[in-house]
Amino acid sequence: MDSDKRRDSRGSWDWDNPQCRAQLDEIFFRQHDYIQAGSPEHKDFWAFFDRFQRFRTKKDMHGLGHSKSSETGEGKEGKLDLGLPKEYDARYRINVSVCTGDVEERLGRSDHRHRSSGVGKEQIADCRLAYLHFLDFRQRQSFGKLAKLRRDQKNLPIYQYRDRIVDLVRQHPVVVVAGDTGCGKSTQVPQYLLSSGFSQIACTQPRRIACISLAKRVSFESLNQYGSKVGYQIRFETTRTEATKLSFLTEGLLLRQIQQDPSLAQYQVLIVDEVHERHLHCDFLLGVLRSLLSCRPDLRLILMSATINIKLFSNYFASAPVLQVPGRLFPIQVIYQPIPPEEQASRLEKLDPRPYLRVLQGIDQRYPSEERGDLLLFLSGVAEISTIQEACQVYATHTQRWIVLPLHSTLSLVQQDKVFDISPPGVRKCIISTNIAETSVTIDGVRFVVDSGKVKEMSFDPKAKMQRLQEFWISRASAEQRKGRAGRTGPGVCYRLYAESDYDAFAPYPVPEIHRVALDSLVLQMKSMGLGDPRSFVFIDPPPASSIQTAVTYLREQGALDSRGELTSIGSLLAQLPVDVVIGKMLVLGSVFNVVEPVLTVAAALSVQSPFLRSAQHNPDCATARQPLLSNQGDPFTLLNTFNAWVEVKGERGGGSRKWCRRRGLEEQRLYEMVNLRRQFKELLKSHGLLESAAPPAAGERGQRRERLTERRKLHQLKREHDLTEGSRRKVLRLGVDAEGGSDSGSDAEDAGKRSKDKNRPGQSTDIQEVKFKLRHNVSELQEAALASQDLSSRQQSILKLVLCRGLYPQLALPDEHNSTRKDSEQVFHTRNKHSVVIHPTSVFASDPEVLQVPEDEVRELGAERKGPESSRHQLLSFVTLLETNKPYLSNCVRVPALQALLLVANSVDSNADCSRLVVDGWLELELREPDGALKVLSSALSLRADWERLLLARLGQSLGQGQGASGAGGVSRKEMDKLSEGLVRFLLYTEVSYSLRRLTAFQTQNLYVGPQPESEPIKNPLFPGVEAKPDPIKGGLRVTTFFTYNCLADSRDLYSECLRTFWTCPNCELYMPFTPLERMQHEATCRPPGEVQDTEAAAESSMTTSSLSAPSLTRLYHCDVCDEDLTLTSTEILKHKRQHMASLK
Amino acid sequence: MEQEVYAPQQNTFTCVLCGLSTPFTYFGQKPPNTRAIVLLEECFVTRDPFSPDKERFLVLGSKCSLCGSCACVGSDCSLFYTTRFCMRCVNKNLEQFPAAIQSEVAKKPTSKPAVP
Ligand SMILES: [Zn+2]
Ligand SMILES: [Zn+2]
Repeated sequence: MDSDKRRDSRGSWDWDNPQCRAQLDEIFFRQHDYIQAGSPEHKDFWAFFDRFQRFRTKKDMHGLGHSKSSETGEGKEGKLDLGLPKEYDARYRINVSVCTGDVEERLGRSDHRHRSSGVGKEQIADCRLAYLHFLDFRQRQSFGKLAKLRRDQKNLPIYQYRDRIVDLVRQHPVVVVAGDTGCGKSTQVPQYLLSSGFSQIACTQPRRIACISLAKRVSFESLNQYGSKVGYQIRFETTRTEATKLSFLTEGLLLRQIQQDPSLAQYQVLIVDEVHERHLHCDFLLGVLRSLLSCRPDLRLILMSATINIKLFSNYFASAPVLQVPGRLFPIQVIYQPIPPEEQASRLEKLDPRPYLRVLQGIDQRYPSEERGDLLLFLSGVAEISTIQEACQVYATHTQRWIVLPLHSTLSLVQQDKVFDISPPGVRKCIISTNIAETSVTIDGVRFVVDSGKVKEMSFDPKAKMQRLQEFWISRASAEQRKGRAGRTGPGVCYRLYAESDYDAFAPYPVPEIHRVALDSLVLQMKSMGLGDPRSFVFIDPPPASSIQTAVTYLREQGALDSRGELTSIGSLLAQLPVDVVIGKMLVLGSVFNVVEPVLTVAAALSVQSPFLRSAQHNPDCATARQPLLSNQGDPFTLLNTFNAWVEVKGERGGGSRKWCRRRGLEEQRLYEMVNLRRQFKELLKSHGLLESAAPPAAGERGQRRERLTERRKLHQLKREHDLTEGSRRKVLRLGVDAEGGSDSGSDAEDAGKRSKDKNRPGQSTDIQEVKFKLRHNVSELQEAALASQDLSSRQQSILKLVLCRGLYPQLALPDEHNSTRKDSEQVFHTRNKHSVVIHPTSVFASDPEVLQVPEDEVRELGAERKGPESSRHQLLSFVTLLETNKPYLSNCVRVPALQALLLVANSVDSNADCSRLVVDGWLELELREPDGALKVLSSALSLRADWERLLLARLGQSLGQGQGASGAGGVSRKEMDKLSEGLVRFLLYTEVSYSLRRLTAFQTQNLYVGPQPESEPIKNPLFPGVEAKPDPIKGGLRVTTFFTYNCLADSRDLYSECLRTFWTCPNCELYMPFTPLERMQHEATCRPPGEVQDTEAAAESSMTTSSLSAPSLTRLYHCDVCDEDLTLTSTEILKHKRQHMASLK
Repeated sequence: MEQEVYAPQQNTFTCVLCGLSTPFTYFGQKPPNTRAIVLLEECFVTRDPFSPDKERFLVLGSKCSLCGSCACVGSDCSLFYTTRFCMRCVNKNLEQFPAAIQSEVAKKPTSKPAVP
């Protein structure tokens, strides 16, 4: 044996010599080898090599290297000789070999050179041996993971029911699988079906995030054997391909797919998960699927639910079979600790923390700190959380036994993520959460649960058209769900801060969403799916008829439904857009003008949570850094600025954007969501022919393209690596540092900074968001778009505002007339349905309300005090949300010029006889000082709106009629659009008439209109033939367009009174005649400057053929009684004609 | 000697000892993209799902050289010592194995229950 010699030689050659390693690399790790020099695995190998060599040296020293020849030879008579080698060598246990013969041969020839630098046979052999052990080690490692995975799958409670489930699905069209959290239904049932031969499976989830994580999990558990065969589809993002056999998608998305393909032919099996959560979309989906089943007998439907109200679902589907799977819960002790009356907070007071502190103390007394187990505390809302957090923090600092962490959806993701970190030994986490931890977020290691019994839920108040966040008692089902969180990893305790009798009095289940929220989108979708009257649809639990009626009314106001409740053309387009009605409207309107890029950004920004972290608002550094982003035009403009600035930073500094965001107290995740959403909106508009497709890249850029391709490949690799390591590393929390984090003192930003210095933090090495961003977006393209919307000219800005305002209409608020005398924090506003609302503190107008006030020097006090100040600068707020929490708040507001915006977007404008008094939507009154100016304003608004409507309809007609093939603005010329936007800009920016603006009192609205006129004054032969003006049956006066009723206000004078006629010269045709206001408007609407005439006529004619419009036609058949002849004349010509007769009579 | 069986369809490897069951993509001694690496036995191989690199292979198991039954590479089910032996055969012929292996086997809890 030459072990001595071996040891010597091993000791003598220098493992660390880079030259030596390089030569070994040339043998084993060449460019095309299994492992390549320079790869991460190659690095791992050399690390392994060092360990391996040290290990062998140690073994040799102890003489343990080789066991003496075994005693195997003896006593084996009659038995099969296995022919195993006599001497044990670990090498024999490896089933891999590496052939490097060719390389070594080449090496042999130049032996000399290598010898000199230390690489000889010995070294090669050492390296080979280490390599084999390395490969073997890697195999064991991966196989170990695989074996564990399979073991875990088998240990899931649902595993026992595997065959039963598959059998039921084979035999029944609908099956209900009920199992509690942790039974594994969401991940396993799809796999059972896949492996028993089902394919084309769709599994719906209420939350987008669950779609992604489930697709990842299932794909992983099935060892990616399905590769792209398991995917997800969420709003605007899909990994689904032709090969996909199973896809996870949101309920909303499946509904969209049914809209496109009513028989849902693309799927064989549908799994609707979490049906017990009773989300709006889910309830609706069940209804749609119920009727779909009759025409798809081959379709299989599986409803998966917690063990809540199972009968309801089974009965809805003709007593479908139910399979109940027990959950995997450990016993949980329930302790009722009702809050004594003296500690109960009244509605306005802060929560009393004493009952909560007692629980913490109790735990400290009863359970030794070495027994692990965290505490999860359920409260109703963010304010409650910060109150209790503050008190608990004091206790925690004192005892050094707790780390207090808040959890709610408005926290930054880094903060939210902390709840998954591990506490150091002897310290427990105290997680104070909203009901987000009840179902959406699952935290392991919780042993104690404290349940306040309260929840804040959003409800919709149809009377005030307002969302309301109110506190309620939870349901028994929720209470059980909360309790269950204590028993996931071991036996637990649940403290209920209410009496058992309270519990018994709770409602059995939460109120389903369909009974709480506005049903606009639902009704719109039902209309577009041709489901008939929403009131007669068979819902699992029908919503009140009044909610449906409110939705129909709202959609009518929005122009999505016509007066008969049928879809309009804009309505049917909106129904196809997977966004809120108002956002959809903005997108469509924006595409008509030249402001698509900023509208895309704003629409995306308004569809995600605000990137501005609340907690950073009071941090002076953040406030300073944010300053340049703020726009006093309104919050959407601030968001636009922020997005553009971020894109610029992305382009310049790439990964540096993270720091940039942190300094401004921005949640970068939201910006990533925005950029993704924005891109999808763009694609949506393109696919509906509302946006020209970009030209294909020029051929000369091939080099650049290849460069980008290489970069993409690298990025893909990074992403894969990240996906594999994701979530595997959890940080250990530190007392003091982490405990203080998340208090509302604005420490988020600094805290995040501190934490990111920590090398253990996952994601520190690769910013995965940055990688995904680069993979998904073309940064230079984005930069261009950002640049295009960065320095908006005042013209573009006003068009953008108008688009937003029309999209958001009727969401308008009027500043209270006494605001100028109030403090900044006490500014009050009124909407049509809700008086005295305030601006949310996050809005730019909360800190800068002065820009909403009429400038002092502009004000001209009118004699009659009650009318309020006169000015041409009145403004209104167009807002996105009205939400009542402790007060009704407006958020995401834009200021718009009042008169102009109202005339251009309002559904109802009523005037008196000389148009000096206007009432808009029955609640806003405007008085214009000069009737002449009033007429001018009104008549230009009328003609602008007519043009706008015509172009919009033509555009929509194009997109709906021709779909994808439509090449941009085929039917509507760019020239026309430019002219319209020019006209609108002029109207918005340069209308200089003075007026007063006020809200009508309840009394005034009662006696607003003259009412229907008696028969004795029949309107025979209306004076204005071009206009389809009919008397308004309710208001009285003349209904001139769909939105404008002339002379119907109660102070109106006789319609035919000659005294209304005044002499006026038309600036276009120079006709000089006495006109009534209506005649004059009519003339203005039809009389154009000579050069323009042809254009307009042609356009008007073409529009006439496509749709019926409110815009007046230019000529009409006129029967003159005097001549007794039928004449085809324009209205002006008719007027002239009649004058002729009048003159000849005299 | 190479017997390449590419199996795009569902070929499932199942260990007769522990019941571990998982699809394999290749059976033989030379899995794709392994270059200089050769397996010393014919193995059931799949793509390593735990490696970020798409081209890493993972040996699931092979056939026992004595009884021919499929056994996974888990240490409870088989061992490789110049060739593959399932644990049943190892136990039957334990005395022929070197002492190092004998003591290793002795330390293990006696044979686990088979397929559930
Ligand atoms: Zn096995
Ligand atoms: Zn065997």
